[in-house]
Amino acid sequence: MLKAIIDNIKGLYSLLVGLSITGRFLLSPRQTVHYPRKVIEPENMASYRGPLELVPGDPDPAQSRCISCQMCVRACPGHCLTVTKGASGKSPEVWLYDFTLCCLCAACVESCPTGAIRFSHKVYLVADSREALHLDLLGQLKSSAKQTS
Amino acid sequence: MELSIASFVQIFVAVLLIIGLMVGNAVVMVYFERKGAGFIQRRPGPYEVGPWGTIQAVCDSMKLLGKQIFVPGNVDWILYFAAPILAFFPVLLLFLPIPFGPYLTGLKVDDGILLILAFAGFGVISNILAGWASNNKFGLLGAARAVSQSIAYEIPMILALLAVVFLSGSLNLSEIVENQGSWPWQWNIFVQPLAFFIYLVSMVGETNRAPFDLPEAESELTAGFHTEYSCMGFALFFLSEYANMLLVSFVCATFFLGGWRGPFLDGFWWTFIKAYVLMLFIVWIRWTFPRVRFDQLLNLNWRWLLPLAIINLWITAVAIKFFD
Ligand code: SF4
Ligand code: SF4
Repeated sequence: MLKAIIDNIKGLYSLLVGLSITGRFLLSPRQTVHYPRKVIEPENMASYRGPLELVPGDPDPAQSRCISCQMCVRACPGHCLTVTKGASGKSPEVWLYDFTLCCLCAACVESCPTGAIRFSHKVYLVADSREALHLDLLGQLKSSAKQTS
Repeated sequence: MELSIASFVQIFVAVLLIIGLMVGNAVVMVYFERKGAGFIQRRPGPYEVGPWGTIQAVCDSMKLLGKQIFVPGNVDWILYFAAPILAFFPVLLLFLPIPFGPYLTGLKVDDGILLILAFAGFGVISNILAGWASNNKFGLLGAARAVSQSIAYEIPMILALLAVVFLSGSLNLSEIVENQGSWPWQWNIFVQPLAFFIYLVSMVGETNRAPFDLPEAESELTAGFHTEYSCMGFALFFLSEYANMLLVSFVCATFFLGGWRGPFLDGFWWTFIKAYVLMLFIVWIRWTFPRVRFDQLLNLNWRWLLPLAIINLWITAVAIKFFD
């Protein structure tokens, strides 16, 4: 009986603690960003997982580091990736990525021996059809290399 | 009280003002409820419609009124449509005896609190009817919960109020206010802190607000007793929920917080300030505590609040007997 009473008084105290926490949150500044008026700071984007992108190669940013080893293709639980080796050398000829199937699990990123893939930070990506989300990452890499140069 | 034309006019005007108060209260409280929820969760709440989203609640209610009245098959038509009406109109009556100010009282009756407690039960009847008539298992479960919850919470609530009634020796709300002083330490909350606490808990339970919102627990029962109501039916339930919140806040303000009495200048503003502070407190509670389980709710009431209320009442009675 005494224990139950003490427990309940402790419980009441915990209710006050809860109220003080939400009360503090009530008065502290908001965290949400209003999209069209403001965008998220780049430093807050570091951990954001957008659709995959290929890491630009070292001497030539239009070239991928990929060696077409198929590790990522096998690791992917959603079968989103298609990598085809080119006729000459190890570099890939086709690097397709189906974002509609991707669960952003990072199995591919972790399994890649050369660190050729990473998550992009495209928060505001919008597509109007499924096909628009079947991405050609090699093409993207080439066009972005052209843009920066 | 003799019935004259003047008293009819008085009641008529009072009812009109109360309807205005109820609707205005719902619009304002929806805004503050959503803003409060947003701020507690560190997001901005309604933002786009009007400056700081102030018109959002008005737009939402317009949208609600424009909706189709959708009646599910196999409902009991009479009861189905009677329920929301029964939820809304008794609340009008409940506001009549509340002394908003020294002269601002709809109906000065000698047993005002009795009137309020007696007609407060209509809210539950409407919940039962709504749940039963809408031929829906969630509705029925919600109705069953509403009944046991309201029985559970009405008793400690009445006992807590009774302690204050013992103190002031009157059931008349105006006299209860007049027996308290203007300064906070002269209010009943300092004489009856336990009764105030019990009332505070049971008023949240009585109005079916979180953490005691079991009759309409969204995650378990969709929307409980008003699952099958759309458009005006839902709007009436919604209005009456907010009106009930306001009512219990007003009763709490009159009984424990000195009603229209306040520091510096007595007047109706003190009633409103106190009632709205309590309303915001209810909102704050809602976004802080998770919903209790049904057995926890009944345990809390029957094993703690009820015995405490009885002990409190007993001590009050003995103290009055010996010290008066
Ligand atoms: S993140 Fe996961 S699902 Fe997406 S491509 Fe990589 S392995 Fe496949
Ligand atoms: S695991 Fe890396 S190197 Fe191998 S195919 Fe995939 S991207 Fe290319």
